[in-house]
Amino acid sequence: MQTVIRTDKLTKRFGTLTAVDRLDLEVREGEVFGFLGPNGAGKTTTLRLLCALIAPTAGTAEVAGHRLGKEDPEIRASVGILTEQPGLYERQSAIENLVFFATLYGLDRTTAAKQATHFLQLMGLWERRDEAVATFSRGMKQKMAIARAALHEPRILFLDEPTTGLDPDAAKTVREFIVALRGEGRTVFLCTHNLDEADRLCDRIAFFRHSIIRIDTPDQLRAELYGRATEIRLLPTPRAEDLARIRAVNGVREAWLENGSIIVAADDPLRTNPELVRVLVDGGAQIAYVSERKAHLEDVYLKIVEAIR
Amino acid sequence: MTVATLAMRPQRVALVRAVCVREWREALGNKLLVGMTLLPPSVILAAGIAAVAAAAVNPPSERDVQALYAAAPAVAGLDPKEAVQGFIATYFLILFMLIPTVVPLTMAIYSVIGEKSARTLEPLLATPVGVGELLFAKSLASTVPSVIVTWAAYAIYLVSVISIGSQAASRAVTAPRWIFAIVVMVPLLTLLSVNLGILISTRVNDVRVAQQIGGLVVVPVVGIGIAQVTGRVVIDNQTFIGFASFLILLDLAVFFMAKFAFQRENILVRWR
Repeated sequence: MQTVIRTDKLTKRFGTLTAVDRLDLEVREGEVFGFLGPNGAGKTTTLRLLCALIAPTAGTAEVAGHRLGKEDPEIRASVGILTEQPGLYERQSAIENLVFFATLYGLDRTTAAKQATHFLQLMGLWERRDEAVATFSRGMKQKMAIARAALHEPRILFLDEPTTGLDPDAAKTVREFIVALRGEGRTVFLCTHNLDEADRLCDRIAFFRHSIIRIDTPDQLRAELYGRATEIRLLPTPRAEDLARIRAVNGVREAWLENGSIIVAADDPLRTNPELVRVLVDGGAQIAYVSERKAHLEDVYLKIVEAIR
Repeated sequence: MTVATLAMRPQRVALVRAVCVREWREALGNKLLVGMTLLPPSVILAAGIAAVAAAAVNPPSERDVQALYAAAPAVAGLDPKEAVQGFIATYFLILFMLIPTVVPLTMAIYSVIGEKSARTLEPLLATPVGVGELLFAKSLASTVPSVIVTWAAYAIYLVSVISIGSQAASRAVTAPRWIFAIVVMVPLLTLLSVNLGILISTRVNDVRVAQQIGGLVVVPVVGIGIAQVTGRVVIDNQTFIGFASFLILLDLAVFFMAKFAFQRENILVRWR
């Protein structure tokens, strides 16, 4: 797959504060790329840099085949951005808002109207196309802002917290839209604090705090956290000696109690699990069930954030 | 295979038209702004026509005439009724020059501060449009209606004064230097006021504060007007051309200052 974003030691300083520090990044065409990090990590600054909205202090970048700082209008034409705030003209109707922005992206009147119609229908806002945006709910405004970002069919779509404040139904519409964009071969650069969403949507995830800390697929990140884990439910509850027996089994890296179950991290669960069952039964424990336990991306996130503190 | 985008840099004409239409729609939806745009020309126009009409109906007293001759030597020797009407007609023409300093300032301030408070500047700046082009389009969106309003008010005043006033009053409102002032200096003053409004709006977030600071632009116009009315300065054709030249330079300087302040990074990072 072709690389659509490539940065080389991209740096942005504001006085003494370094918001982005020698960022090296490659994003491939057609992937949904998750960009995760704590508040104040410099995610918005990175987005603004990659959208040619602000200039880097040092380093270089190439976005959609255009050099940052040399072909900025071409970069802005190739990307769409959903900012933290919807930023819509509230006195104007939904269709007027979209047609206005389409014109600014260089679309002729017919294409602008066609695209505005298409995206209003896609976002379920067509029935309210002639109403002032001020009358819209937070979720509807967010959907309008997403429609505006995608209106000119950009090669790369930068989405900053796209489902924040949306009800589950609207959030589902947005997630389906992101999946559809990937299906068309468009790249989605997704900034989110919703780790479940990142897990479900992203092909790769970068943990970021002024520079990249870790980057991989969600499955690989989870696997590296504690291998493949097993959850063992005992009746009535696990005892201290059960935990001690498990920890003594060969191949067990870690075992702990969580919500009344024993979680076991092992290098090779297929070999270790039968032994775990045997030692527990031999020790008089009553096993309710044994299942594979997938680590949550939240566990990975918290572990990484804790490590860098 | 690389996916295609529909976007490109917009044509300048299409951009200017889109920005102007959007700003005018926005302005028309703001009753306060419409009121503040129409009130000054309406008041000046109504007062001017009423004053000329009153002077035509009520002959001035001997004391008024002597005071007028002393203040405006140019009208000395004319029939007192004629002189008073000519004087009043000229005085209100000076007030007309205030319209392009007051009206567009409000529009320009709302144009920038409105976008700041609605957080619409970031998506606007994320488009392939150049900031200079955007600034130019915004300037034009505030300038055009203000110039049209001033010219329309002047046209109504002209017709009214010719209809109800004396020959001196008619001569005053059709004097070439005043036609020059309305046709040339009004747009120049409007542009100055607009760009000053934009410049001020980059630094403050409150419409009222911006208006108070921007209101200072009327001071030189009022000063020159008072000096002219009281006879301390006689503004002849040469002086008008000198003022117009100075205004062109000032317009360019303020536009470039506004352009310098209106930079993507400044707007996104420093404007709050």
